[in-house]
Amino acid sequence: MKDPTIKRVLALFALVTVVLVAVAVHAVRQLNRTVTASDWVNRTHALINELEGIAAATQSAEGSLRIYALTRDPRDLAAGRRSQVRLADHLEVAGALARDQAETARQVARLATLAESRSAFARELGSAPPESLATLFAVDAANTAVEELLRLVERLVTEQMNLLALRDQESFLQAQATRWTIGLGVAINFLLLAAGAWLIRDDILMRRRAADAMAAANAQLESRVQARTAELSAANDRLNLENLERRWANQALEHQLRYNHLIINSITDLVFVITKVANISRINPAVEHDTGWLAKDLINRPLPELVRLTAGDLPLQRGLKEGHDLRDLPATLLRSEGGEIPVRFTFYPLRDGNNVVGGVVILNRATA
Amino acid sequence: MTVGLGLVRLEALTVRQLLDDTSLTPKRFANLFEGFTYEFINYVQNPDVFLRTKIGDCDDYAILADHVLSHHGYDTRLIHVRMMGRIAHAVCYVTEDKAYLDYNNRRYTFNLERCKPDIRSIATKVARSFEANWTSASEFTYDYATDVKEAKFTVVKTDPPAQDPDRGRY
Repeated sequence: MKDPTIKRVLALFALVTVVLVAVAVHAVRQLNRTVTASDWVNRTHALINELEGIAAATQSAEGSLRIYALTRDPRDLAAGRRSQVRLADHLEVAGALARDQAETARQVARLATLAESRSAFARELGSAPPESLATLFAVDAANTAVEELLRLVERLVTEQMNLLALRDQESFLQAQATRWTIGLGVAINFLLLAAGAWLIRDDILMRRRAADAMAAANAQLESRVQARTAELSAANDRLNLENLERRWANQALEHQLRYNHLIINSITDLVFVITKVANISRINPAVEHDTGWLAKDLINRPLPELVRLTAGDLPLQRGLKEGHDLRDLPATLLRSEGGEIPVRFTFYPLRDGNNVVGGVVILNRATA
Repeated sequence: MTVGLGLVRLEALTVRQLLDDTSLTPKRFANLFEGFTYEFINYVQNPDVFLRTKIGDCDDYAILADHVLSHHGYDTRLIHVRMMGRIAHAVCYVTEDKAYLDYNNRRYTFNLERCKPDIRSIATKVARSFEANWTSASEFTYDYATDVKEAKFTVVKTDPPAQDPDRGRY
């Protein structure tokens, strides 16, 4: 739900729904108004029909009475009465239909009065003796009730026709408004749906581009990883090889060192390794064996405390300083129990480049 | 002859037979008209002619039903429903059955149209059967002796229902 595109699309669909509901509600309201307007148009039509029925029934009744005046046949009088019954029926309905228009209702009431006067005349004819009928018709000739009734009907019909035109116009305008509303609503919805489609299309394109970019980055990363892995693998192979060579070299060195120790240790002569200032740094086992000193007692002790050159310390100091050998010089070796042993003193300087960093002293037992 | 009118179709019924049949109900009355045909006649026929010819219109049927059923003690009313472009249609409402008899429904079964008793409801249902809009409806009486229809009151569709003359009567 945090995806903004989904939010926008949902908002658009909510808007589409709102527009649809609004259009539907408005359309239903307009439809109801149109139905009501149609009912009013029907009512007006019905009133016009009833007014025309009043005119027709009046003329029919009057015609029957005229024929009766000529024929004196009671069937004609009965036909006239039937027409007046129909007239009464039309008047009743017209009165009901005109109830909402005070002036029209008043005029329909006037029509009823005029019709009633004609009904009274018909009743008078029916009850009158045949010899007086001529007199009655002669008197009735001056009666203008029928003409007034027909004029009034004509006027009312004209008024109702005008009213009908107004109601029809109102109905037309309502229908037009409904068409506009529905058309507008549909157009808005189409636009909103198009916007939604555009958003979705845009989002899909964006996601596709992002996916393509990610795939390219992944491919690049993959090739980099492969290259790096190859490099590491090669480096590892090199290291392994170097390690192997180093191990072999170390093994050779250790082997050589062991041989050196074996050689030194197997020598019965006394061997001392001394520093630049003539302190003992190492000895071979023959020293411990012949002097009785332990290595820990001798290491770091000045060699002159243990070995004394007959010629003094000067030759050794000069040998260490100048870096030249001393060979087979007479000297004495101090033993741990006391006493001295005569020995032959040989010195070899140890060099590191051009510098003398110490030396090796070898003592041979002096022979008598 | 008064026995079995509802079970046996007699070829030529008479009004007298209908009036004398004490077992006649609105439903059994309506059952008798299954084979009748419609033809508009601009006056109310003599009921025996209507029964003999089996030809008539809604006025003939509704007025005969009103005449016979009211004779048997039913509370009946004659209703005229006016629709646009059509001749006013007459039905006979029977209060006890809460239904009206309609000549357009001449089936042997389900020939009573159930409806509320107020004239607006009757008019609405009748108009719906025509798939039409009604404009006004009147309750009226008719007397075979005088051949006179007399409107009692008229209801107009567009008037507020609260102003209907029969409002609160039923």
